[in-house]
Amino acid sequence: MSTVESRPRIGAGVNRVDGPRKVTGTAPYPMDFSVPGQAYGALVQSTVAAGRIVRMHTEAAEGAPGVITVITHENAPKVGTGPVTVLGASPPPPLRDDRVVHHGQHIAFVVAETPEQATAAARLVRADYEATEPLLDLQDPRAEQLVDPWGTDTSRGDSAAALESAEVTLRATYTTADNTNNPLGLFATLAAWEGETLTVHDTSQWPSMVRTCLAMVFGIPESSVRVLVPYVGGGFGAGLRAWPHVILTAMAARMIKRPVKLVLTRPQMFTSVGHRPSGVQWLSVGATRDGELVALDHRSLSSLSMEDNDYEPFAWASSFAYRCPNVTTQDRQARLNVAVPTSMRAPAEAQGNFALESALDELAHSLRMDPLELRLRNHTDVDPRNGLPWSGKALLECYEVGARRFGWSDRNPEPRSMRDGNWLVGYGMASALFPYFAQPCAAQATVNRDGSALVRSAATDIGTGTYTVMAQLAAEELGLSLDLVRFDLGDSDMPNAMMAGGSGLTGALGNAVHDACRRLVRSFAELACGDADSPLLGFSPDDVECTDGKVHPVGRPHLGESYADILARHGLSELTANGNSTPPVATELGMSLAGAYGAKFVEVRVDADLGLLRVARVVSVIDGGRILNEKTARSQIIGGTVGGIGMALFEDTVTDPRTGRIANGTFADYLVAVNADVPEMDVVFVGEPDRGTATGTKGVGEVGLVGIAPAIANAVYHATGKRLRELPITLDALL
Amino acid sequence: MTDVASRRDAGERPAPPERVVTLTVNGRSYALRMDTRVTLLDALRDRLGLVGTKKGCDQGACGACTVHLDGRRVLACLTLAAQAEGRAITTIEGISGTDGPHPVQQAFMEHDGFQCGFCTPGQIMSAVALMAEGRAGSDEEIREFMSGNLCRCGAYPNIVAAIREAATRGGHDARL
Ligand code: FES
Ligand code: FES
Repeated sequence: MSTVESRPRIGAGVNRVDGPRKVTGTAPYPMDFSVPGQAYGALVQSTVAAGRIVRMHTEAAEGAPGVITVITHENAPKVGTGPVTVLGASPPPPLRDDRVVHHGQHIAFVVAETPEQATAAARLVRADYEATEPLLDLQDPRAEQLVDPWGTDTSRGDSAAALESAEVTLRATYTTADNTNNPLGLFATLAAWEGETLTVHDTSQWPSMVRTCLAMVFGIPESSVRVLVPYVGGGFGAGLRAWPHVILTAMAARMIKRPVKLVLTRPQMFTSVGHRPSGVQWLSVGATRDGELVALDHRSLSSLSMEDNDYEPFAWASSFAYRCPNVTTQDRQARLNVAVPTSMRAPAEAQGNFALESALDELAHSLRMDPLELRLRNHTDVDPRNGLPWSGKALLECYEVGARRFGWSDRNPEPRSMRDGNWLVGYGMASALFPYFAQPCAAQATVNRDGSALVRSAATDIGTGTYTVMAQLAAEELGLSLDLVRFDLGDSDMPNAMMAGGSGLTGALGNAVHDACRRLVRSFAELACGDADSPLLGFSPDDVECTDGKVHPVGRPHLGESYADILARHGLSELTANGNSTPPVATELGMSLAGAYGAKFVEVRVDADLGLLRVARVVSVIDGGRILNEKTARSQIIGGTVGGIGMALFEDTVTDPRTGRIANGTFADYLVAVNADVPEMDVVFVGEPDRGTATGTKGVGEVGLVGIAPAIANAVYHATGKRLRELPITLDALL
Repeated sequence: MTDVASRRDAGERPAPPERVVTLTVNGRSYALRMDTRVTLLDALRDRLGLVGTKKGCDQGACGACTVHLDGRRVLACLTLAAQAEGRAITTIEGISGTDGPHPVQQAFMEHDGFQCGFCTPGQIMSAVALMAEGRAGSDEEIREFMSGNLCRCGAYPNIVAAIREAATRGGHDARL
C-alpha cells in the first residue's frame, strides 16, 4: 500500500513555516490570549497529602480587594466526568468532595479582577484538615498494587527454567526517579461562555479530547464547545489530559458569567499536569557464553496516584526488543498519595530501556564481549511475539553507521582504561526503540479559486513541526509549491485529530492529509476528465496526477491545466475533500508495525578526583522511516537527546517522604539540562520508508530520548568501573 | 459562590498602593496607573499587550522573560515596572528592523534554533545582548553565557549554531 517510492526518503529541511512568528514573539500561546471583561483565577492547593477537609476558611479571601468569588467543594456545582481514552480514565473532576489524596490538590479557586488580586487572595484561604498518614513509599506493603493494569504483561517459553539452566546469568535492580515534564510554557486556560456555548483557549496536545471532556463535564453537546490552541509552549505529555484546573476555570467562568483566565505557576506545574513516575525494575538475564540470550525476565513497579490512570508499562517492550526464546515481562503500579503521573516524552520506554540496555551492558562486560557485538548477536528482523517481519527496521544500519561515525572501535574495552589528563574517558552505547502508535485521524483539504490550498485538522504543533511537515506533505500530494499551501491546526472545530503524543501524530495525521489530498485530486480529475473544454477530456481519473500546480495525465504534464482553471470553468470557488486514517492492523498487513529505532553512542568524561561528569559527545543514528523534513526531524532527535541527558544526570522530583510535598518544585531547584550541559551532536537518519503506512513515516518525537540514559550510564561504567543502576547519576555517586 | 462585591465596595480593606508609572518601551512612552507590586513582565504582557515576552517561571530561573533595559539584559519577572521608569526598555517586538528580521532572528530560523518557540523571544534577547557584550567569541562562551535561558525542547545545539553564525556575520566579535 505504500505510495512513497517516488518520494524522497528524507524530505527537504525547509525552515519552519511558523518560524517568523516564533522569532518575533507574535506566535500566540494560550497564556497570551485575553478577552474583554475577563477575570483572573488563582488556585489554592492542599498542604496535606491525605485526609479530609474539615473546614474551609474563605472569608478573608472573599473580603480581599477585587475578589469576585471563591469556589470550594462546598459551593462548587456538581459536574460530570470526562471520557475514557486510550490513556485511561479522565482525571477526576475537581472539588467533588472533602477528600484530599495528594499534596497540592486543588481545594479552592479564587477569582478576582486582576491576577495580583487573585494571587494575593488565594494566600488568604485556609483549610482545616483531618490529615491521615499518606502512602508515599513505592514499596510500602499497604499500597494497593495494580497488577497488569494495561493487559500488556507477556510470557513466552519458560524464562524461569531457562534462567535456571543458563550458562551465564545476571540479576540486577534499577531505579528511576520521578521527572517532571516542565514544558517552558506555563499551562494556561481562558474560558468564556456565551449562553451554553463554551470557548476555551487551553494548553493542550489534544484539543479534540478536551472538547469531548468539557462537553461531558458540563453536560452540553460537543458542538457547543470549542478548544483553541494554535501554539503550545511545549508539552512532552503534560498536555495529554483535560486537567482539573481546566475544568475549574470553565466552571468559574460559568458561575460568574464572565470569562476567566488562569495561568499556572511554575510550582503548580509540578503537581497539576502530570509527571514521569518513579519506578523500580528487576531484571534477570540468562545467556550462553557466546552471548546469545536464552532468558529474559523484566518486572517493574511504578508509582501511581490514588484516583487516576497512567499508561506506563516499563517492561513491555523487552518482549520484542531482542530475539530471545524465553521472556517474561510484568508491570505493576502502586497507588500512592502523589500527584497524578502522566506520559512524559518516551513514557515507559525511557525507563524500561534504561534497565534493559544497562543490563545488556553488564552482561557484555561479564562475558568480556563488545556490548555492540552482544546486541548484534541478539538482533531480530521479525517480531518475536508473532513471527511477523517488521514493517521497517534498519537497526543494524543504525549500529553500523553509528559505530563508524563515533569511532567505537577506538575504544579500549577495559573499564577505567582511557584518560585525558585528569578526565576519565568512557564510551557507552545503547539500542533504542519507540513502539508504533497511532489513533484515528481526520483532515480536510481545500483548493481555492486562486490556486492556493488550505489543509486543516484539529491537531497541535507542540514544537514537533506539524505546521511545516503537513504543509510539505500536502504540497507534495497536490503538486503545489509550499508557499501556496497553508496548514491550519489547533482548533477543535476542525476535523478530529489524535493527540500529539506517542510519536503517533505525524504518521496518523500524515496519512489523513495524504488521503484528503488524494481525494481532492480525484475530484478535480473527475471534473476535468469529463469536461469537453479540458485537455484531460477522455482520460481516466485514475490516471491523473498533479505536478507543478497542474492536473495532468500521468507522465504527460503538457496535457495539464491548473486547479484555478478547472474551478473557474465550473464556476466553483473551491473544492474540498475530507480524508481519514485508521491505524493499520498487523495481521492484515502480514507485518508487525515497527515504530522507530536508533543506536546511541556517547562519550563521557569524569573528573578522577571531583566526580564531575560531562557528556562530551553523542552520536544518534535513527531509523525514523521516511523523514518529511530533515531539519525539524533532526531537532526532534536533538531535543530528545537533551531530555535524555536531563533524565540521566539531573532530573529528580523530590517528594518529602513525610508530608508528600514536592521539595524542589521550581526551576531553581529542579535541574534540567542547560546549554552548557549539552555538547555538539551528530544525528543521522537511515532506513527506508515504513512499509506499513501510506506515507511511510514512523514518528521521531520520542526515540531521540530513549537510550541516552543507559548509553551515559554505560559510558560512566566504562570510564570509572562504577556501575550505576539509579537515575539520575549525581556527583556523589561518582566519588 | 459568595457575593462579596458589596463588602468590597464598602472599603473594608485598604486599597493596594497604586501609582502612575511611565514606561518607555521600544521607543514609545506609556503612562500606566497600576498596583506597585506589578512586575515589568506583567506590565508588558497584561497592561501593554506586549505578549512576545514570555513567562516561564516568574521566579528568575528560566530566562523566558529576558528584555533589555538600556541595552543590558534583565529578567522582566524580577524587575518591578516602577524600577524600569526612565529607562529604555526593549522587547522582542522592538528587535526587528524596518527592513526585516534582526540577523539573530534570521539565524534562529535558518538553524531551527527552537521547537515550541516559547523560550525563543528570551533566547533572542539574550543572544543580541551577548553579542553586544562581546561574549559570543566561541561555542564554549556562547553555551556558558546562554545557560540562563532554559529551552525545555532542547534546541541548544541549534541555538549555539545560530548565534555563532549571527556573531560571525555581524562582525560583533573579531575573534570569530
Ligand atoms: S519568567 Fe522570568 S526568569 Fe522565568
Ligand atoms: S523551543 Fe520550546 S522551550 Fe525552547
